[in-house]
Amino acid sequence: MLTISGVFAGYGGGDVLQGLDLEVPTGAITCIVGPNGAGKSTVLRVVSGLLKPRLGTIDLDGTRLDQLGTAGVLGKGVAQVPQSQALFPQMSIRENVLLGGYTLRRDKQLLAKRYDRVAELIPIVAERSHDKAGNLSGGQRRMVEIARCLMVEPSVLLLDEPSLGLDPMSLTGVSQLVKDANAGGTTVLLVEQNVRLGLSMATHGVVLEGGRVRLEAPAAELMANPEVAELYLGGASHDSKAPRPAESAHPVPGR
Amino acid sequence: MTQLVQALVLGLLIGGVYALMASGLTLIFGVMNIINVAHGALLILVAFITWKIWSLSGIDPILLSVVMTPLMFGFGWLLYKGVLSRISGSSPGMSVLLTFGIAITIEGVLNVTAGNRFRSATPSYFSQSFRVLGISLPKAQVFGCLAAVLVLGLLFVVLSKTWTGRAIRATAQNASGAALVGIQSAGVAALAFAIGTATTGVGGSILSVLYPFFPASHYDWISRLLGIIVLGGMGSLAGALVGALILGLAETLTATYVSLQWSTLIFYAVIMLVLLFRPQGLFGSRLRQDVMA
Repeated sequence: MLTISGVFAGYGGGDVLQGLDLEVPTGAITCIVGPNGAGKSTVLRVVSGLLKPRLGTIDLDGTRLDQLGTAGVLGKGVAQVPQSQALFPQMSIRENVLLGGYTLRRDKQLLAKRYDRVAELIPIVAERSHDKAGNLSGGQRRMVEIARCLMVEPSVLLLDEPSLGLDPMSLTGVSQLVKDANAGGTTVLLVEQNVRLGLSMATHGVVLEGGRVRLEAPAAELMANPEVAELYLGGASHDSKAPRPAESAHPVPGR
Repeated sequence: MTQLVQALVLGLLIGGVYALMASGLTLIFGVMNIINVAHGALLILVAFITWKIWSLSGIDPILLSVVMTPLMFGFGWLLYKGVLSRISGSSPGMSVLLTFGIAITIEGVLNVTAGNRFRSATPSYFSQSFRVLGISLPKAQVFGCLAAVLVLGLLFVVLSKTWTGRAIRATAQNASGAALVGIQSAGVAALAFAIGTATTGVGGSILSVLYPFFPASHYDWISRLLGIIVLGGMGSLAGALVGALILGLAETLTATYVSLQWSTLIFYAVIMLVLLFRPQGLFGSRLRQDVMA
């Protein structure tokens, strides 16, 4: 279980996360949705160690992550695919994916074994291994970014806006990849501006507003929630049989 | 014909040395976005120390680079940790101001301790030449170029074949991406700055033999070296090599067929022409993502 407790964090102009409390169940796909500026990407950055929280703790199965920095967090099996371009554009796809195993570099055999496995799982890694990463399309880049993360066989995968700028075919490929990783035992925490897509991939959903959790529930229930439908899905819920918000999604007291 | 071949060979020999001197500058810019204006002053500092040791002991100045390189590596590490790390993440303009301050400090110290006059190390082979197929190859140029090629080759192997090199290149291309794969960017930046500064250990030792120098010579050197890396593409090692060879050839061909006074001007004219058509420099590549951005 990944547990975020009372986290305050920001970028110098005040806190974006305002005492965030969130539990990410092991083995689930949890999707965070919310308006622009709610702090969705910031949640991922504090978990991966890119941003140090000012206050609060982040704990993975009893191990504190919030003091470790990016290398330490990665060492605990938490890998992030950020929203903006994360690859090394002048390097080949092979080099990019291998660098995903930078923390395993002393074990050459393990590194080679992991690379072969990832290349088998994500065909573009083998097909275009010598091409420069900067020459890939948006969808292909996303695939390689996820491939790079899989080199450490993460127990938790953090995905920031996986659908951003992707065409429908690439989107299907990326969604399938996330589901496959999850089926293999990886806990997924994703942030998605495309609420319908995000919640359809997820098992759990969280609505973030003003740096705090506003609602949390199983993803299907959250999709059926009229308030969520009104605010984020462009109209009323598509499932008229869905329970009312008070019966399903759980507004978090005091948030 | 012999005159042309002679000029071409000399141009390549000089270009090899320029390439070594520019490689550290472009590496530092590529990894940290630091325009190290003090690079020329560091070369002159090494040239002075080399000249002093040679004049006292008679030890070959180019051979002294074996000692000067690790010394400058350490100096570069301390300089980064103590001074330059404080402007980490700032604009390149800030690095110009700070390193210019370092350059004039070094110049001032050299003026006070060594005096403001020209020096040059002149080992026994200084005025000797190899004769190959009727072409005269000055021994000092040949030894200098060989040392430069050796160090450039070593640098290439480190950057392309080792995990340390991959970490340096990854940080240069995408610092936050590098952090996400577990690369400690602060350590890599210090290492890259130290390696870049270490190249002045070899470059300065060669400079002490090939070119007369005095404390303010660093203005001339930094102009040339910045010209080389702008021509080649800021941050590109291959670009620094090609830019340096173009400068070497432009200088010797112009000096041979036109006049010595025009030789530097021609190089800057080439830079202006290239930048008109390739603003990113010869090797500053434009990828699909650059066009899409």
